[in-house]
Amino acid sequence: MTITVLSLLAAEVIRLVSLKYQSALQTASWQEALLAAESGIDLGIVELRKSLFPSPNQGWDGWNNTTTENPHIVNHSLSTVVPNTAMTIEVNVDSVDPVSFVDSHNGWQYWRIRTVGTMPINGTATVTDNKQDNRLRKLSLRWERFTGGSLMTRAFRTDEGAHVSRRVEAVVRPVSSFNQAILSVGTIDLTNQNIVVDSYDSSDPTKSTGGLYDVTKRQENGDIATDGNLIEAGNAHIYGDVATNSGTVSGAANVTGTERDDFYQEPIPVGAPTWASFNSSVTNVTGTTTITGNSTSGTSVSRYQLSSINLSGSKTLTLAGNADGSPSYIELYVTGDISFSGTSQLIVKPGVNVKIYFQGNVDVGGNGILNSNNQPSDLQLFGIQPINDTPRHVNLGGNGQIVAAVYAPNHDITINGGGSDGHVFGSVVGSTVTMNGVTNLHYDEKLSSLGMINSYKIVSWFEESR
Amino acid sequence: MKRTSGSTDGFGLAEVMFSTIIFAAISLGLILGFISLERNYAATTDFATNHADEMRISDYLALDLRRAVALQAVHNDTTIFIPRFYASDGSTQTPILDGNGDVYYGDPGSTVRIHYYLSGGTIFRQQDSATPTPLAVNVQDFVFDATDSGKVVSTRITFNPTFVAGRASADATAATAFYNTTLLRNARSDSDVSVY
Repeated sequence: MTITVLSLLAAEVIRLVSLKYQSALQTASWQEALLAAESGIDLGIVELRKSLFPSPNQGWDGWNNTTTENPHIVNHSLSTVVPNTAMTIEVNVDSVDPVSFVDSHNGWQYWRIRTVGTMPINGTATVTDNKQDNRLRKLSLRWERFTGGSLMTRAFRTDEGAHVSRRVEAVVRPVSSFNQAILSVGTIDLTNQNIVVDSYDSSDPTKSTGGLYDVTKRQENGDIATDGNLIEAGNAHIYGDVATNSGTVSGAANVTGTERDDFYQEPIPVGAPTWASFNSSVTNVTGTTTITGNSTSGTSVSRYQLSSINLSGSKTLTLAGNADGSPSYIELYVTGDISFSGTSQLIVKPGVNVKIYFQGNVDVGGNGILNSNNQPSDLQLFGIQPINDTPRHVNLGGNGQIVAAVYAPNHDITINGGGSDGHVFGSVVGSTVTMNGVTNLHYDEKLSSLGMINSYKIVSWFEESR
Repeated sequence: MKRTSGSTDGFGLAEVMFSTIIFAAISLGLILGFISLERNYAATTDFATNHADEMRISDYLALDLRRAVALQAVHNDTTIFIPRFYASDGSTQTPILDGNGDVYYGDPGSTVRIHYYLSGGTIFRQQDSATPTPLAVNVQDFVFDATDSGKVVSTRITFNPTFVAGRASADATAATAFYNTTLLRNARSDSDVSVY
């Protein structure tokens, strides 16, 4: 009798252990399927970022890419088995809708990424002894559990055994190249000037006055970040976060935000514009010159390709628009250097929105830059990636304030301020960034929705669990 | 004629008593052993069942927390708000830009309310006003909490183990804690922090 009782007990224990073991295996597969699904989102974002690089960028290579018209919808899909694993990832990236999925403020395309991550289930294809477990995990033991109008349906294939799939839908939005007050690939040096770095939003009357910086409405988004490992903050009063890539921040006693060392954000290099046509009325600037814009952006009449800009003495380059100050646009592509010396000056007239792409070096001295609009978003400077990594620099200075947004991730940027009145309004992105004599840097948060697209950010995430 | 001994010979009283005592002792030992085994088996089964319940509740919470846009958490009562991904007819909805860099499903500001609570020895998950779904029964000794740290939410679930005779000590209960930390993927509408 003893042997019988002990045998029964042993049998029951083995049965229980087997059930729990099987449940543990199924749970593990269920958890790993989510990793697979989220990896699919990463794959989609990687391709979206690759497509931002100058051509050829190999974006979407190996994917099934289709475009339908009326409505115009772009679709990219991929099904892949992760090497050396049994993990399957299916990804679909689409533009959803040609109108409603584009930000009306800046024309940026949002993207929807739908993924299915699938993992096989080891062991016998048996359900667990708890129906709530089954309701949660939806294991596909003998038929596919996600069918009937659910997200990214898939049939139960005859060549696959018991498995579990998890489905995630994410929406990503573009992130601006001007997402921080200062971003550098290498060192940021604020040169011990006790600089004040803060932010305002020229588009929000609660965070600015008349669209201009107001110290009483100071915001704390003056973030500084480097892909390198050193920020010489120089006891700056930084109203924002400070971030390095496994590095250190010296003189950071006055940082209001967080200080982190896990930052890395590869700036997208700027490619040379590939305009089909442009305005050839001005091809080089060596004397006082006026370049006029157009009320419509992106037209050939408002685009100019210049070999260089080299002004000295009291000469000026005026970028003019409509006489009444209504919005107008100018794009300059300078294949050589830009230089202002003596008392020369770059003047941006009211209402003119300027983008300057430059291939060479930039040296702005003299009377510097007069941005009549006092809006950094109206003067955006983009440094084109030099061929063969030739060292390039941008030196901005001159009398008065600097109101501009500079994105030149392959250029060493030095900004020379004007002492106690040395205010810079805008955003600076460079290979290295050095502030000489600048005592105030005010980041305009409006820039975070303008400029180049530098990355993508997940703004919505939903796992289907029905 | 020689008389031989017959079958009337038997055990003496002492022998009978001695053997009875030995049998009783062995039987008592076996019975106590069986009772102990049964208790141990019951306790092990109970622990395994409770542990599975903990895992299930934790996984449900994590599932909803990952997609949460807002959260309210108190002792044994957690409410999570998730996007209204499904339309009233059950179909999936198309995401819509809100003009401020974010996205919503359905009507602006519309969310689905997921309520986790312990009532009558059962932990329920209720979606909006639908019939609550019991996630675990006979769990009156369960305690679950969610700690909101902004970008992440940590959950902790405990129960009173029956290994211990009588009331489980605080240490014994604490030893059953099942922790989970979940990164909230969505930008939260009830918080300034964003994940990415």
